[in-house]
Amino acid sequence: MSCIITEKLNKNFTLKLKKQNTEYIAAQHAGKRNTLFFIVLALLVVCFFILDIFFGSVSIKVNDVLKAIFNSTGNNIETIILKFRLPKAITALTVGIALSLSGLQMQTVFRNPMAGPYVLGVSSGASLGVAFVILGFSGSLTPGNLHSLGNWILVAASWIGAGAVTLLIMFISSKVRDIMTILIIGIMLASGISAIVSIMQYFSNETLLKAYVIWTMGSLGNLSASQLQVLLISVSIGMLISIFSVKMLNALLLGENYAGSIGLNVRFSRTVIFTCTSILAGSVTAFCGPIGFIGIAVPHIARIIFKTPDHRVLIPGTILTGALIMLISDIVSQLPGSNNVLPVNSVTSLIGIPVVIWVILNRRKDSGLF
Amino acid sequence: MGDSEQKKGFRFILMDISKTKILSIDSLKIGYAYGKRQKILLPPLTASARKGELIAVIGRNGIGKSTLLRTIIGLQPSYGGTIMIMGKKINEYSRLEMAQQIGYISTEVVKVSNMRVRDLVALGRFPHTNWTGKITGKDFEVITESVNKAGMSGFENRFISELSDGERQRAMIARVLAQDTEIMLMDEPTAFLDINSKFEVVNLMLELSKKGKTIIFSTHDFNIAVNQADKIWLIIENELTEGAPEDLVLRGSFDHLFDTSMVKFNYEDGSFSFRKENRSKIYIAGEGIMRYWTEKAIIRAGYSVSDTNTPVFIQVPSENNKKWVLFSGDSSVLLNSLYDLVSRLQKGI
Repeated sequence: MSCIITEKLNKNFTLKLKKQNTEYIAAQHAGKRNTLFFIVLALLVVCFFILDIFFGSVSIKVNDVLKAIFNSTGNNIETIILKFRLPKAITALTVGIALSLSGLQMQTVFRNPMAGPYVLGVSSGASLGVAFVILGFSGSLTPGNLHSLGNWILVAASWIGAGAVTLLIMFISSKVRDIMTILIIGIMLASGISAIVSIMQYFSNETLLKAYVIWTMGSLGNLSASQLQVLLISVSIGMLISIFSVKMLNALLLGENYAGSIGLNVRFSRTVIFTCTSILAGSVTAFCGPIGFIGIAVPHIARIIFKTPDHRVLIPGTILTGALIMLISDIVSQLPGSNNVLPVNSVTSLIGIPVVIWVILNRRKDSGLF
Repeated sequence: MGDSEQKKGFRFILMDISKTKILSIDSLKIGYAYGKRQKILLPPLTASARKGELIAVIGRNGIGKSTLLRTIIGLQPSYGGTIMIMGKKINEYSRLEMAQQIGYISTEVVKVSNMRVRDLVALGRFPHTNWTGKITGKDFEVITESVNKAGMSGFENRFISELSDGERQRAMIARVLAQDTEIMLMDEPTAFLDINSKFEVVNLMLELSKKGKTIIFSTHDFNIAVNQADKIWLIIENELTEGAPEDLVLRGSFDHLFDTSMVKFNYEDGSFSFRKENRSKIYIAGEGIMRYWTEKAIIRAGYSVSDTNTPVFIQVPSENNKKWVLFSGDSSVLLNSLYDLVSRLQKGI
């Protein structure tokens, strides 16, 4: 009985709201528009994922791909598809998601439109961790032939490196408020770290050096099955933490003081979010090398598409956009129709840098920060 | 069942509180810590606020008004003493419970691209929503009501980066209203505002306090504090004095507000003016508004008004004479404006 009454009241209430409040309808409208964008983006991700499997240095017909996936034929094509193309496409997808999400979180927490794992030196921090593992330990720990435990050691070192730089940047940004100053310090940090790595390279032996140099070139295609597994697990953890931190991120948009005044535990939130960015950016850097400008550019593209500061929309939006752009970058780096392959890092830079320049040029003093 | 009992209990507390102090600070020490060294800004402060009061915190720049507000809201630790809200010490509240009791507006400007007024106000629901921050029907009702109360209806879809200073301040007030708190702390809410916006914001604060919201705001605008506030917390070097503005005037508390011989407090109209010594006196003949502004002008020029006739005196414009007449002995000069009068006086009579 009471249940029916409440239901009726609820119905009346929503009706009243709909009638009286055009605002409510406007909000619903924006919701519908976003849903449409989500569907389109998701479809595009699926399309480009499939395209990414098709394009490569050996051209393969559609039939053969389908055969390889659904009937086990055991020929060369099946080997290429299942051992190389599919893992590479999955890696591209995961890398795109991880870097973009960490960029979004860093931009919100630092309240800095120029924040991102690459520009602030977090990726460099991760590579320092990797350098310690590869150059500092025996040759058995090179990325090409690692066993599962070794992969986790590599990833953990990368996390620690990324985390250390994040902490340092956080400390600096508590002292200096100016966005561009922090950006310059980030670039200095990256240069400083590469100097340290150079010194380590100087003192290491030839085999280790070669292994490290190959790693720095960055690639989506060199991951072993067990490495891909470690990457997927780490990025999934990062994604879960991101999803659980939506409310914190939304509150942090207002700045730490206001966030604290509306009941957010700022220190705890920052720790959670920075752990998350270190896991996301660190894992990618450990296995694929430093990949630039995805983390800084994708969140801006997502903001342009969804026109909202709300992380409940921006997080899924950034996940889809990041996956899509990384898949496109990978396809472009294959140079479809030729036998040459470009380093994926240069493709992402060419896509990302114009976006970053656009953001800098559009940043007026009186308009929004990010 | 348990829920309704809880509500009853809550209502009882509310009724009880409305008669007593909603916020009180007792021997509160505020300050900063640099590493292990503490810097206490002021001697222990004691003050209180009742439900629905509009309280102005005044004191010179850098004396610790902002620090006091930040300490009350818990953004800064206190270094001794107690802060009680609704009869309970603040360290007995969780962060979220605190956020349901006190809202805060600082001088910091929120700059987020793509953020609309409705998004900003919706963030005020933070302490009332679930882990995703989902806005439900009830939240929506509160948000709409808050926007209307703050006079921002019609602005919901505007980007906050496009608002004027006054509109932004009212949007921030709407956000705190959506937070649905008993107390609202505002750090210099009228700084940077033009006269119109200033009056709109102060008027809004008055209305809200009449409806039962306790508002504590810091200000440098002495007129607003003296003429509008129910109570003033006056912070001077060695103490916090509280009381109705008029009580403080009569007690002579404002004499110490500015520790300088430059400024003087006028007991007649409750304003401050520059102290000027060695004034010669001038008699002014005439009445009404013309006389009032002529007095102001000659005081500004460094003279004071004499009650009895003086050798040099001024006749203010009247119905049959539209000009100021400056008499000096036997001669007299006709002047078109107060500007001319003052220049003449400064040249020497």
